[in-house]
Amino acid sequence: MADFLAVNNLGKEYEGRRALHKVSFGLQQGDFLSLFGPNGAGKSTLLRIISTLTSAGSGKVEIKGFDLAEEPEAFKMQLGVISHQSLLYGHMTARENLIFYGSLYKVDDPEQRAEELLRIVELYPRRHSRVSRFSRGMCQRLSIARALVNDPSLLLLDEPFSGLDQYASAILTEQLGELRSRARTVIMVTHSLDRGLAAATRVGILAGGRLVYLEERDTIDPSAFEGLYMEYVHGARAA
Amino acid sequence: MSGFWILVRKDLHAEFRKPEAVISMAFFGFLLLVILNLAIPMGAEISPETGAGILWVAITFSSVLGLARTMSREKENCCMDGLLLSPMSAESLFGAKMAVNFTLMLMAELSIIPLFFILYGDTFFHSLPMLVLVVFLANIGFAATGTLFSAITAGTNRNEALLPLLFYPVVIPLISITVKVTAMIFQGAGPVEYSSWLYVMTAYGLIFSGLGFLLLDQVIRE
Repeated sequence: MADFLAVNNLGKEYEGRRALHKVSFGLQQGDFLSLFGPNGAGKSTLLRIISTLTSAGSGKVEIKGFDLAEEPEAFKMQLGVISHQSLLYGHMTARENLIFYGSLYKVDDPEQRAEELLRIVELYPRRHSRVSRFSRGMCQRLSIARALVNDPSLLLLDEPFSGLDQYASAILTEQLGELRSRARTVIMVTHSLDRGLAAATRVGILAGGRLVYLEERDTIDPSAFEGLYMEYVHGARAA
Repeated sequence: MSGFWILVRKDLHAEFRKPEAVISMAFFGFLLLVILNLAIPMGAEISPETGAGILWVAITFSSVLGLARTMSREKENCCMDGLLLSPMSAESLFGAKMAVNFTLMLMAELSIIPLFFILYGDTFFHSLPMLVLVVFLANIGFAATGTLFSAITAGTNRNEALLPLLFYPVVIPLISITVKVTAMIFQGAGPVEYSSWLYVMTAYGLIFSGLGFLLLDQVIRE
């Protein structure tokens, strides 16, 4: 069966420093890949290339057969991204932000979709408030809604729980469960081994720009994983 | 609705809600016209060349305030990434930002030009219809160049200081042609006499619009 997401020999250099080297993997629809690795391993670079924010130095990415380089617009219609930044306009209200992004993604009824998502992230009572007046936790919840506005087939999460309050974490966990139940594909970059293992169907370790480990979650013993992780990271450093 | 119109509507809505760019452009243009007027003796008539120079100094210096604003608005919370993640093409993004810059410049000029006629005499007023055409062509050139350079500088920490340093040297040819054509219009010259300059202004606008459409994606993606 053809992969839903195919990453082939992806490479990237920044000013002569190798950030990614021949990274290849494939994911099926409904897979949840938790990607671990030390700082500077290339995790965020990998997500930025898949999300089209950075161009790949070499290799290619396909989603549902759409080539990232050749059909970027069709590719982007399938994507949702939660990053360190909220990507929200402070001068606009919560509702206006979601309608704006929904319209860009050609959502059928952006107003209705915005209100539906505002209810999910429990910001409906504050829908007419400007985002600049929101607390950090509220911004994070709205950022989750923004990433889901186009009902993405592939969701990319870069340290999604970092800095989230308890409430926003619970909403995100619930939404990730909901996405999995609808066979959506997720790639999550995280430093939290426990949280990553709990959510994943597949687990990868990126170190020194290489994908040094990729296994099915079912084959992993969670109690032994931390040792395994340290072994791979040290191994990559020594090499 | 296309990505172009969605972005134009979003930016103009933000500007109408809090008209920072237009007010600062118009106010700065006002100030320049008033300060330059202090150098002219009471009752003295100014030459068409001087009048044209004064008008375009006010317009070009005030326009850069708005040009910097439209792109820097996307820096907040990395909203530019949000636009790049969306299926909107880089061409639509450039076109929308250029259209917004064109509109903001036009709105500021709607207050700067009447004040110019009030302060510098109504002897130039007969030239208003052709002046509108010159303003239109000059705005296309300024908006295209300004949008491209504001995208280049938006990735830097001091973008509002850097933009004029890059923008003015590149638009000097356009400014000098625009001043020349405006002076000819103020002198009462017929369109046949300056039509070749209007073609040059059109070509300038087209070249920089084309460059913007081609280069914007490279400029903002990395």
